[in-house]
Amino acid sequence: MKKGAEIKDTVGNRDRIHVVMTFLSLAFLALSAAILIWIVRIQNGFHVKEKYMDLFTPAPVLHTEIPERGRILATDGRPLAISAPQYDIFMDCTVRKQEFRGIDERERSRLKKLASEGKPVPEAKKAGEAAERLWQKKADSLSWTLAALFPEKTAAQYYDEIIQGRFRKNKAGKEIGNGHLTIHKNVNLDVLNLLKKAPLFREGKYRGGIVVEPHEERIYPYDSLARRVIGYIKDTLRIGLEANFDYELHGTAGHEWRRMTDGDRQYIRELDSTLVKAKDGNDIRTTLNVDFQDIADKALRRQIADDDGIRAGIAIIMEVETGAIRAMVNLSRGKTPETTVWERENLALRQVGEQGSVMKTVTLLSLVEDGYVRSLEQTIPTNNGFVPNYRQDVHILDYQRETGRREISVKHGFEISSNYVFTYLAEKYYGEHPQAMFDHIYAYRLGEAFDFDIDGLATPVVNRPGTPGWSKTTLGTTAYGYGMSVTPLHVATFYNGIAGKGRMMKPYLVESVEKDGVVLKRYKPAVLNNICSRATADTVTRALAAVVNDGTAARLKAAKLPVAGKTGTAQVVLSPEERGGSQDPYHDMGGRKKNQGTFVGFFPADQPKYTILVTVYSYLSRESFYGGTKPALAVREIVDQIYAIDGTWDSRVAFIGHVPAMACTAESEAGRVPNLKGLGLKDALYLAEAAGMRCSYSGAGHVAAQSPEAGSKRKEGETLTLTLK
Amino acid sequence: MSGKEIWTAVRNSLRALRKGEFLLRIRADKLYLHILYLFVLAWLTIMVSLKVDKTLTREGQNKAALEQLKIHHAEKEADLVRIQSASATEKRLQEMGSELRRPVQPAKRTGKK
Repeated sequence: MKKGAEIKDTVGNRDRIHVVMTFLSLAFLALSAAILIWIVRIQNGFHVKEKYMDLFTPAPVLHTEIPERGRILATDGRPLAISAPQYDIFMDCTVRKQEFRGIDERERSRLKKLASEGKPVPEAKKAGEAAERLWQKKADSLSWTLAALFPEKTAAQYYDEIIQGRFRKNKAGKEIGNGHLTIHKNVNLDVLNLLKKAPLFREGKYRGGIVVEPHEERIYPYDSLARRVIGYIKDTLRIGLEANFDYELHGTAGHEWRRMTDGDRQYIRELDSTLVKAKDGNDIRTTLNVDFQDIADKALRRQIADDDGIRAGIAIIMEVETGAIRAMVNLSRGKTPETTVWERENLALRQVGEQGSVMKTVTLLSLVEDGYVRSLEQTIPTNNGFVPNYRQDVHILDYQRETGRREISVKHGFEISSNYVFTYLAEKYYGEHPQAMFDHIYAYRLGEAFDFDIDGLATPVVNRPGTPGWSKTTLGTTAYGYGMSVTPLHVATFYNGIAGKGRMMKPYLVESVEKDGVVLKRYKPAVLNNICSRATADTVTRALAAVVNDGTAARLKAAKLPVAGKTGTAQVVLSPEERGGSQDPYHDMGGRKKNQGTFVGFFPADQPKYTILVTVYSYLSRESFYGGTKPALAVREIVDQIYAIDGTWDSRVAFIGHVPAMACTAESEAGRVPNLKGLGLKDALYLAEAAGMRCSYSGAGHVAAQSPEAGSKRKEGETLTLTLK
Repeated sequence: MSGKEIWTAVRNSLRALRKGEFLLRIRADKLYLHILYLFVLAWLTIMVSLKVDKTLTREGQNKAALEQLKIHHAEKEADLVRIQSASATEKRLQEMGSELRRPVQPAKRTGKK
């Protein structure tokens, strides 16, 4: 029993131990979890000092990757603006100066120590001085290279600057040196590579002192061509397409963390960190045709360069079918005639002003569209060129004197650009309800600044009934181009509408947004308004063609393509400063005025493809010039050159020459040498071998001569010599 | 385990280390392959890490070289575009004494339109 009781006790103990062990295990697990939580909590609140962290872990640096700015392209893909880094070159003139001085100082200390120990003192080596002399000699060689690369200074000047920079002192007389001497700014990669091979600079930054600071720069390969349209961004100045399409062009910067390698101390990407790749900007394809722009620029430059009195000139070439601007030239001088002709401001968009007689077309179009003028041959009385309340038109007096007639046709009035004719017509047909004419003006979009691809299109000023500028003569003056101020782009767009048979296209400059040649977004041509019927457009086109054939734009009559258009001469309203106290808005106290002359039209007149506008502006002057002179001459040059290169008017020929088929003319007779002249080599060889003759030949092409001659008696195995040409 | 026993164990270990018998005492020969394996793993880790560094360095250098080429290409392209404009060509021809000028007539092309 006792034994059995012991056994029972043992089992009980074992169960107890099991329970206790289980409990202990669970308790151990709970304790472990608690310890882990405690450790984590400690770690969260525990920060190792940065300087100790830096000692043990290499600090990653954040590298920002600059995206490449998108290109601005011409319509055929030629680049108008591209990005490439340029480099500013500086020199640390003080480089190694202290190192060389240190060599001599250590030497002096060593000798001093020897002297104090009573030991024999050798002569000082002056190795530092020698090294300094060698450095300066290299600087001299560098100066020659710099003078060769940047000839604005001589080698002696460069050398002086470097040496002065090396030993420059501050006001207190302490030698501080120049660690950032400007050598040259905005050099390209080729020049940079040459500089890196120059004496001294080839030793690098820390031994040669070269300091290179790259910066992204915009390159305009065509220099000033279309610069106001292409535009630029410089600090707060934001101009042209560069500014308006900056959101497409600029791209997105990327960044990556980099660390230094343990071995060769190079920065590499930190693989554990996040990487954001730079996204390059998109390209902008414009509607500009570089060749047209070049032609228009040159033609306008020629007109401006010939005359010191001309301040500025504008040329716009627009495609009739689409409204695409193929060229937009904005040339101007500075305040004085001596200044360079350059693309300084976008006058085509900003120069809002009275356009003069070119606006007579607006009146004519309205009259024809409303049915008041049913035929261009319709006549009105001349009335000695006088309409009540208006100034007399002396051109009418001339007309009366020359023709003896007391009536004038609308067509002839338009040809000679008579103010009287258009004042008379406007007063007669719109005098009772002038708003009807202004409704037309607004329908032609001449009263508003429509949406355009670059900012700055000025809002026109139209003195319509009910506005403060309205008076009893406003209708008549508006009819011949005064009293209403618009921009040259408005005028060109209006004429483009007539050329388009009444369909007025919205002018645009950007065709598409692209990325690596793939079109992301395409801007399609848009219609601004249908301004008149086809018949009205045809009638007005006839009138415009008559201006060139028999009127004020006769200089364009001999152009290589028929042109239809209108000249316009206007005086520019002077600013109060220019007027200098004069009450006349168009003249200063000395009676001087500013003129503007315009020709606007389209070509070919019968099937218009391009609308063209050229305007020139004068400085203050007593002289006058007209739209039929300089602007017409520029237009003539432009039209003639576009005719030659556009491709539309290329002639087609089916064949450029006749090459007769080659054939053997004589059959080979037995026992005679065959006639091989005119044959290709292959055929000639075949026939010669068939006749049992050997062949040798020289030249290429067809057989021109043979020896022995054809028809002569042949011998078996004889060699026939052929000359091919 | 009492403190005395721990102290004895530490003292014995130090003595064994001095005599060069430590590994034998703890019977490390049984773990020889594991130690070797650990060593190879450590060696491989270091080697791979160095290789990765080297590759990334080379990648960086190549990237810089490509960037230089890209810049060079852009500059040359701009130069080419500059000299191929009609005005530039005309000017160059004039300077060289050529009488060749811009075309005054449209081209004659072969074939149908």
